[in-house]
Amino acid sequence: MLKTIKKFLGLLGLGACCLMLAPSGAAAHGEKALEPFIRMRTIQWYDVQWSREKLNVNDELVITGKFHVAEDWPRGVPKPDATYLNVSSPGPVFIRTERYLNGQSSVSSAALKLGGDYDFKIVLKARLPGRYHLHPFFNLHDAGAVMGPGHWFEVAGDPATFTNQVKTLNGDMIDMESYGLANGVAWHAFWIALGSAWLLWWVRRPLFLPRYKMLQLGQENALITPLDRKIAVLMLAGVPLFVFGAQAMTDRQYPNAIPLQAGMDQIEPLPAAVNGLVKLKVQRAEFNVPARSLTIVAQIHNASDQPLQIGEFATANVRFLNPGVGPSREGDKDTLIAPQGMSLDSADPIQPGETRTVRITATDSLWQRERLDGLIRDADSRLGGLLFLYDANGQRHIASVSTAIIPTFN
Amino acid sequence: MTSTDLEIAQPYTGEKARLSRAYDYLILVLALFLFIGAFHLHVALTVGDWDFWVDWKDRQWWPLVTPLMMITFPAAVQAVLWTHFRLPLGATLCIACLLIGTWIARFFAYHLWNYFPINEVLPATMLPSALVLDAILMLSDSVTVTSIFGGMAFALLFYPSNWPIFAMFHVPVEYGGAQLTVADLFGFEYIRAGTPEYLRLIERGTLRTYGQVATPLSAFCSGLLCTLMYPAWWFIGKAFATTRFVQKI
Repeated sequence: MLKTIKKFLGLLGLGACCLMLAPSGAAAHGEKALEPFIRMRTIQWYDVQWSREKLNVNDELVITGKFHVAEDWPRGVPKPDATYLNVSSPGPVFIRTERYLNGQSSVSSAALKLGGDYDFKIVLKARLPGRYHLHPFFNLHDAGAVMGPGHWFEVAGDPATFTNQVKTLNGDMIDMESYGLANGVAWHAFWIALGSAWLLWWVRRPLFLPRYKMLQLGQENALITPLDRKIAVLMLAGVPLFVFGAQAMTDRQYPNAIPLQAGMDQIEPLPAAVNGLVKLKVQRAEFNVPARSLTIVAQIHNASDQPLQIGEFATANVRFLNPGVGPSREGDKDTLIAPQGMSLDSADPIQPGETRTVRITATDSLWQRERLDGLIRDADSRLGGLLFLYDANGQRHIASVSTAIIPTFN
Repeated sequence: MTSTDLEIAQPYTGEKARLSRAYDYLILVLALFLFIGAFHLHVALTVGDWDFWVDWKDRQWWPLVTPLMMITFPAAVQAVLWTHFRLPLGATLCIACLLIGTWIARFFAYHLWNYFPINEVLPATMLPSALVLDAILMLSDSVTVTSIFGGMAFALLFYPSNWPIFAMFHVPVEYGGAQLTVADLFGFEYIRAGTPEYLRLIERGTLRTYGQVATPLSAFCSGLLCTLMYPAWWFIGKAFATTRFVQKI
């Protein structure tokens, strides 16, 4: 029995050692952890692209893309009055040098409008070598992080060569990697030295037992000497004088210092890119749990002057494609694509001015792998997404999908 | 300086004195680790981001929250060390331990593990405030006086003693068509996935009712609260401390 326990503990220890000796970087950022209804019905990402996959330290990486803010925003999620377009990465292995929302430079948080369409551009600069998984994502105040599509990047080079020079309004060029460090360390060292001197002044003499005993015997006057008192008076007067003197000198050194900036960016949505010439109204949506298949029966009205075919349904970064419709997917490295995932009850294009009831089926294991099938257990089991339609010239129209969903378990 | 000035109280001699000194060191080492861990955790949980990030160190909330949360352990430890041992070093000891823990965390956790430049996560210092608090307690030998004057001084000295460290991070830069401080730029450039900009509790509130001079009001407000916080934590220290083991020696 004892041997068995020893063997078990030995194996357990060996396993723990193996885990510690072979650490692997985190390959995910909790993008599947958020409840499906939030991922589907808040920020609806599309057309996200990256300028390059391999780069060296100091090289730029540009992430571009678009998103639609769902009209059917979940009731349980606070409205997007304070949001922040961010990049998930394992710390600042890249720095963010520029960020644009709808072509407008944005360095702070911003409010988004429900039903609004936006495009974005984020410019990053590689700082540390390694292989990293990045996503653009939105921090939503009081709601969490809604991830956009993720991608792997490899950064090579020497981290020591990284530079980040910034020009202040005073005209000085500063290196953000070291700015203020020596000054901060010097001030800390000064105060630590003074504090240590005060501590050593007391610690050098017998402490606890003798002092306790003398105090009990009423000899407390012997515990604080006149010199102790002089030093305390000197400290009481000297420290504040020195502090306020140093503050005044610092004020003279940095006369143009300003408070931290706390304003929000004001970004207006673009002209409608979604729900333009195509209107969609869902009549019924069912999710077949064992088949991992969504069926939407929807009435689609084509107000454009061209026949349209349905090419894609996208929700929570998962894309179900109708093969043969829409642009070529060659070279597309998006891992959340179901290339044959969409089927329709009729392949005939929807004619200009026509309103047709269409049965759209989106089937793939991605429903399960991306934990979107958990929608049926959500407190708000409604589905949201974007439907992409194309005319013969490749012109794209987008309609938002919003519907309650009925599960089937057979 | 006379020989009387330097005379150190010592009721023990010989082996007793040696053992007593060994006991001192034992307690000091334990106290060091205890305060590094406990006080550092307390500050990380209560002051948190205001102390972590350079772009959270504003004029209103940082000088209000930091002294208020940092006077706690010093008051409790002073209650023990002064009441039972007449040692006026409780505040300085706590703050020094806090700084040791903070610097370890900033260097290893923030800089080496999470790649933040260490200048973005420079901690604040409360050592000047702590030295004055210890001096006031020693000279007054009064909880009431230390609460009123020490608590006030602890808060009022905080911002000016840190301004020489952080003023240079308030130099303006033009970025993306807007005016930012260097500190704001740190927050924008060095990606923090879990701490988006809107979470910063900075420059919010009505303290600027008196014009653009927000810091002194914030510091006085903090001082007033510290005069209440100090005795509260003094009595916590007193209630939880015991000398019954010392009495048996």
